[in-house]
Amino acid sequence: MGVILEDLEQEVKAIHADQNDLNVVGKRIKRIEALAKALGTARYAADLKRDDMLIGKALFAKHPHALIKKIDTSRAEELEGVIAVMTAKDLPGRNGYGILIPDKPVIAEKKVKYQGDPVALVAAVNEEIAKKALDLIEVEYAVLPALDDPREAMKDDAVLIHENHPAADKGNILTEVSLTRGDVDKAFAEADIIIENLYETPMVDHSYLEPDVCIAEPDPITGGLLLIAPAQFVHATKRSLAPVFNLPPNKVRVLSPVVGAGYGGKEDSCLDVCSIAGVLALRTKKTVYFELTREEIFRNTGKRHATYIKHRLAATREGKVTAIDVETILDKGAYVSMGGLREPTHAVTQRTVMYAGGAYAIPNARAKSYSVFTNHPYSCAMRGFGAPQAYFAVESQMDELARKLEMDPIELRLKNIVRDGDRTIFGQVMKKSRGLGLEECIAKVKERMEWEKPLERTAGSRKRGRGFSTFLYGTGVPLPFEGASCYATFQTDGTVSIAVSSTEMGQGLLTAFTQIAAETLGVDFDNVVVNISDTDASPDAGPTVASRSTTVVGNAIINGCTQLKNRIMDFASRELKADSRDIDIKEGKVFIVGKPETAVPLGSMVAKAFVNQVPLSATGVWYPPRPTFSGEDGQGDPMHAYAFGAQGVEIEVDTETGEIDIVKFVLACDVGKAINPVNVEQQMEGGAAMGIGWSLMEEIDMSNGVMKNDSFKNYPIPSIKDVPEMDLIIVEHPNELGPFGAKGIGEPPTVPTAPAIRNALYDALGIKFNKIPFTPQRVIEEIKKYENKNS
Amino acid sequence: MAKNISFYLNGEKIEIQVDEKDLLVDVIRNRIGLKGTKKGCTNGDCGVCTVLLDGEPIRSCITLACMIDGKEIMTIEGLGNAENVHPIQQAFVEEGAIQCGFCTPGMILTTKALLDKKAKPTTGEIKRALSGNFCRCAGYSKILKAVKTASRNLA
Repeated sequence: MGVILEDLEQEVKAIHADQNDLNVVGKRIKRIEALAKALGTARYAADLKRDDMLIGKALFAKHPHALIKKIDTSRAEELEGVIAVMTAKDLPGRNGYGILIPDKPVIAEKKVKYQGDPVALVAAVNEEIAKKALDLIEVEYAVLPALDDPREAMKDDAVLIHENHPAADKGNILTEVSLTRGDVDKAFAEADIIIENLYETPMVDHSYLEPDVCIAEPDPITGGLLLIAPAQFVHATKRSLAPVFNLPPNKVRVLSPVVGAGYGGKEDSCLDVCSIAGVLALRTKKTVYFELTREEIFRNTGKRHATYIKHRLAATREGKVTAIDVETILDKGAYVSMGGLREPTHAVTQRTVMYAGGAYAIPNARAKSYSVFTNHPYSCAMRGFGAPQAYFAVESQMDELARKLEMDPIELRLKNIVRDGDRTIFGQVMKKSRGLGLEECIAKVKERMEWEKPLERTAGSRKRGRGFSTFLYGTGVPLPFEGASCYATFQTDGTVSIAVSSTEMGQGLLTAFTQIAAETLGVDFDNVVVNISDTDASPDAGPTVASRSTTVVGNAIINGCTQLKNRIMDFASRELKADSRDIDIKEGKVFIVGKPETAVPLGSMVAKAFVNQVPLSATGVWYPPRPTFSGEDGQGDPMHAYAFGAQGVEIEVDTETGEIDIVKFVLACDVGKAINPVNVEQQMEGGAAMGIGWSLMEEIDMSNGVMKNDSFKNYPIPSIKDVPEMDLIIVEHPNELGPFGAKGIGEPPTVPTAPAIRNALYDALGIKFNKIPFTPQRVIEEIKKYENKNS
Repeated sequence: MAKNISFYLNGEKIEIQVDEKDLLVDVIRNRIGLKGTKKGCTNGDCGVCTVLLDGEPIRSCITLACMIDGKEIMTIEGLGNAENVHPIQQAFVEEGAIQCGFCTPGMILTTKALLDKKAKPTTGEIKRALSGNFCRCAGYSKILKAVKTASRNLA
């Protein structure tokens, strides 16, 4: 089943025919904040530190799992320069917070459950005194055995981590999410071929370079708090922490300046730092500065869930996949975070089920995922949100199937991918109208990889291999409240202000939002200013996560701008004495269509409208079709649109050193519409590079709940030497519901890398690598094992 | 123990009393108030705190302020400003080499040191020079391109 690229291209041209007259959207526009970042003048949260602020410090658990027998803070309190010492008994409100459920204590009271639990807080006049004060706090613990392995922790006789967890299913099992479709047992009984493997993926760190920090300032007028912190979801930070401060949410203002990246982590970690700084500020009635050290960031903040996946796949000898049966165990760490609950928010656990069958139309499926507490850092959102783990398994399985059938792996995928009208394993019908560019992605990667040409294999110690993988990835969150609001305002000179609570963390949404607003209103790009991340300035746009902002929030901006545009066109029709349907606004001018001589500068028309009681502000809103998903059978329409992609890699493995060189790297992503192609390329390269780190070098090493590698010295992330040149292909199959056709692209590029490299390794060495990362040491070990077995 | 030091910062003479334990990054950020130099790990691992000492890139987070007595320091603020954008800064903006921007000042200063020494570095030389500056957004290909563009524009 080949794909003819010319046919696809004609189809795409036809789809985009009506987008040719775009002025701002689709253009390679320079990032708005880039120059300030290059000059060093852009202000991040830590740059707002002032000398008059108190310094907050926290004493974190000495043991990852222990009962607190006694805390004595008296010596710390006596130290000159110490303004406050707090333990759990001193908290003003609820001792618990969390995006999904408030199960993480601000200060642990009776028990510590991982290394990152604070047991006491200090505020002092400077950092030196604050550190000294921590040394003077005496804590007596009764140490409990620490649980590292969720497969052990889920057993009935395991030590219980949470005595009375509000959401836990049973013992240390937080939750279980299931998916069932068709008759799996029958399909396996009738299968020609069954592929069964165990896969393991490691816990990894986000390693955003900007440390977590919070400045908490009491508001003398409201009695509330201002929290300045790098945050991915300012409104949820406010909602989750208001009860901690014993304040109503309208007295908690959260503001996030530009963020030195988050990758999912700062959805949760901002709660950690804001809760601590906030309670210290309320206690001292002074502004408090609290920052985590890099080691604390490693030990305390969220991680990507480690997973243990048992994947069975059934197929016919013609290469049609008929069923999958998958069990995934997720290392939850100590708290729920974004791990997911039984209902209604299944979060990461849900994605491991939903993506267990990849981008394929598989009629029968059973997938079960267990999220299990351990004494590890809480696992949270991280670029890809459970999908990279699921895809590592299913895309490796597809490769094994191709091998068994002696079929080309791309040919096999083309026999199974979802096409217009097909259902995924979660039961959603994939529609061309929402953009379905998977086949084009596959064809383009195949072409650029020169897949038809046989690979040149060498006889020496350096072995070559090729690997391939595909994905589909939902845009947005499958939650009943999914949607976004913003404010759009015309200033009286015709310039535009957009207020939106989303976060600029490097993904470029300031620029994309500005483009969307300028295009919608027919004004110059330079005449739009987007104000971000302030709970008091903007309504809730939802989290800056899930590859959702450009699409979901972008639509809200279109909605707000369209309301403003319609009001001005309506007013102009009276001024110009024409039907409002004949009025248009373009390039900063209002005119009657077809009569350029009627053109009036937009600014003067807006000014006139203002004095004629035309309101110049609007609330823009957008909701996708209401997402559905059941945690019982895993069926529903969780996201309104899906990004698609394919990736090919060619590698060279040095069988003497175990080192892997990526010599060719081709990634194609169907993004619907690239609002700004530069930003899309950046997301593709950065996401894929994060996938390379996960595949080849990164792994948090936990032993008895203690992190062994809590700095960049022993947890290196990819440098410029580790990331190969990439051939990035943007494919655009528009989403009828997306802004100008867009779908999300922030996370998807992280998804296909690991299985593509794994499949290339198999091709090069004939050895299965079912455990990530493929470090030189592990490669050598596996080669030795293989040689011993075959000698 | 306090110590009086004097050094040139971005061409301007600074005389300041520091404690012998004070880190250069803290003196630059908190005492002098130049916030363009970032602090990412305080271990010398990530490179965001890079400044130039007599033209050589150093990690200001593991450099004691008292050690720079009599030396010349350049931070990102000394390279260019809004009225006078340095060609390296301009190239990073033009080539889309900036995402979250936290690594950018350090990356740009490392580039400056490289190009001062070698006006036309090879790809391998650029990679070697920048390999100590992490960019987790990993816009490395665009950074590479920006360095090459800057090298061309400075020639």
